[in-house]
Amino acid sequence: MQRPVTTLRLSPQIKVKVLNAGFQTLDDVMQVSALELSREAGLSQEEALEVLQVARKEGGADGGGAGDGASLTALDLLQKEEALTRIVTFSSRLDAALGGGLPVGKITEICGVPGMGKTQLCLQLAVDVQVPPCFGGLGGQVVFIDTEGSFVVQRAVDLATAAVRHCTLLAEEAEQRDAAAAFTVETILSNIFMVRCHDYVELLAEIYLLPDFLSSHPKVRLVVIDSVAFPFRQHFDELRAQRTRLLNGLAQQLISMATKHDVAVVLSNQMTTRLQGGQSQLVPALGESWGHAPTLRLLLRWAGSQRQATIFKSPDCEEATVNYQITTDGFRDDDRSEQPPSKRPRTLAGQSAAC
Amino acid sequence: MSSWRQLELHPRIVNALQKAGVQSVRDALCMSGPDLQRLTCLSASDVRRLLTAAALLCRARRPQPVLAADDFGLRLSLGCPVLDGLLRGGLPVGGVTELSGESGVGKTQLALQLCLSVQYPARHGGLDSGAVFVCTEDTFPSRRLQQLIREQSRLRADVPPHVTDSLQFGDRVYVEHAADLTSLESCLRRRVRLLLARHLVRFVAVDSVASLFRSEFGLSDWLEKTKQLLTLSSTLHHLCRQFNSAVLCINQVTDIFSGSEEYMGPPSSTVRPALGLAWANQVMVRLMLRRLRGTVSRGEEDSALRRLEVVFAPHLPRAGRDAAVWKEGVRGLDGADAPLG
Repeated sequence: MQRPVTTLRLSPQIKVKVLNAGFQTLDDVMQVSALELSREAGLSQEEALEVLQVARKEGGADGGGAGDGASLTALDLLQKEEALTRIVTFSSRLDAALGGGLPVGKITEICGVPGMGKTQLCLQLAVDVQVPPCFGGLGGQVVFIDTEGSFVVQRAVDLATAAVRHCTLLAEEAEQRDAAAAFTVETILSNIFMVRCHDYVELLAEIYLLPDFLSSHPKVRLVVIDSVAFPFRQHFDELRAQRTRLLNGLAQQLISMATKHDVAVVLSNQMTTRLQGGQSQLVPALGESWGHAPTLRLLLRWAGSQRQATIFKSPDCEEATVNYQITTDGFRDDDRSEQPPSKRPRTLAGQSAAC
Repeated sequence: MSSWRQLELHPRIVNALQKAGVQSVRDALCMSGPDLQRLTCLSASDVRRLLTAAALLCRARRPQPVLAADDFGLRLSLGCPVLDGLLRGGLPVGGVTELSGESGVGKTQLALQLCLSVQYPARHGGLDSGAVFVCTEDTFPSRRLQQLIREQSRLRADVPPHVTDSLQFGDRVYVEHAADLTSLESCLRRRVRLLLARHLVRFVAVDSVASLFRSEFGLSDWLEKTKQLLTLSSTLHHLCRQFNSAVLCINQVTDIFSGSEEYMGPPSSTVRPALGLAWANQVMVRLMLRRLRGTVSRGEEDSALRRLEVVFAPHLPRAGRDAAVWKEGVRGLDGADAPLG
């Protein structure tokens, strides 16, 4: 294969040594044994072995067409996209605007000023992802990373109780009745894996270890970080220089986690004021470059005394604004015309009404 | 912080780290894998091993399933069932609560009341510990505190008299004064911290956070002000988390000009809490005390009608309760005592 060795995931020193020894492409490297490579390139045996392993792994994927780096056609991608599972929000209008709910395998960011309902939406999703499959849910588990200390068990119980009641009311067939009987507040709570991160280092550590946790808990379909802004906005001086770099690294890890483990990643973010030409403007925190991390951005805001959710960054839905409210039961449509998640039409028909 | 020797790592890795000048576990976690590899000249698998060990050391515990019985969240009672009902039990322990309102509306009264209710044993809504009251704008209202202590048996009629009598309320309220931000910061980091660490107190009241910021910074010092606000809030967060205590910050209010700051939601009155969005982002529970028109009377006593409102909280709906300030403290009004117009 003619792929240059410089494109391999190796440390620069090793690459230089390999290149200097005259190995240009993957083919060159793969024709020699580890012993030969170490002698030729002046590498330790261990390093030589690593080079070969990396070369086989990455080269093999390209050739076989089955591994991580396999190239796909647009048609494959389309089919993959359509097979994408989604997490309903229990607000039928928001679901409609999102094309059926929050996409699994992608990163969604929820922005808003305090008191807007960011934590409420996060909690709602943590409960919704567990709705049994026969009710149109995913029957999954969730990892909830709380950085602000705003995860209150009392509130999670409220939302879980409402979801259980909802499913019990909907149960018609025997299968649904069985599923509803097993869907209790206790099971919902025990399927939420909570972790509290007190500063940005703990958050980075948790994210670094999370892939392992996800491998051992394959039912996890949702990872929530509420909020990503809080730890990165404290320790102002300590962080200033490296914040952008750390956030970029974090974004990369999250993206690869979302696709590899097929989980939805939901982040909440604070808002901040930016002065521009003498005018102050509200923008999501953490800066411009962070804005590229989430695939989908939801902005929660007040319009008078009405709460509104706006999709303002999305690759596949139009920009849309829907009204919502926070009730005792959780995140809901504003006109109380709630539809059961299983019977909701999975089309974009509701969108024009919602705009 | 934690040194490399604490980790179960091959000496080769530890040596490479020390040679490369990577001081702490935190430093390593803040570096990307390739960066570490370049600095330490370790192989990729060694760097992976190193990062995993470092991350495991930083993490207190792995993600745990939530249990309903776990702890339902400890609360500090306000000493009044109506107001506790509004807050679903009281102030959250381990979080920062903000109380704002116009001057003279009763913010300090409520803070004093909490200084006393924290001293009750857990079955009466307290934390069985003392309180520290940090004054930044006025002298400490000690006469009012004495009056509240004398009237405790009246406020807490639910508590058996022998419990109330056995408590030495006055001895367990510590008072600190801070005249500027530097002294507030050092007071919190040293003296308050020490009190918390010795289990002498589990409730911290700061009356008020706004005054210092409003007097020390002009409009042009906007960035410095934000920085200081974040420093203060991270100190408070750290304290209430580390010592599992409740923190109450009293805040002033500013007038709302038409059209300004409408993003903060439908105004419940013509004022809103001071210090802006940077501070609001740091607060877990935001409460507001307002003066309403009308008075309530009870026997000989009269009180202006107030209303305690929840502006936001992760576990509470936006709601409010009418309240009045009596000799024995702030009490919510239930249906029985209706306000006079």
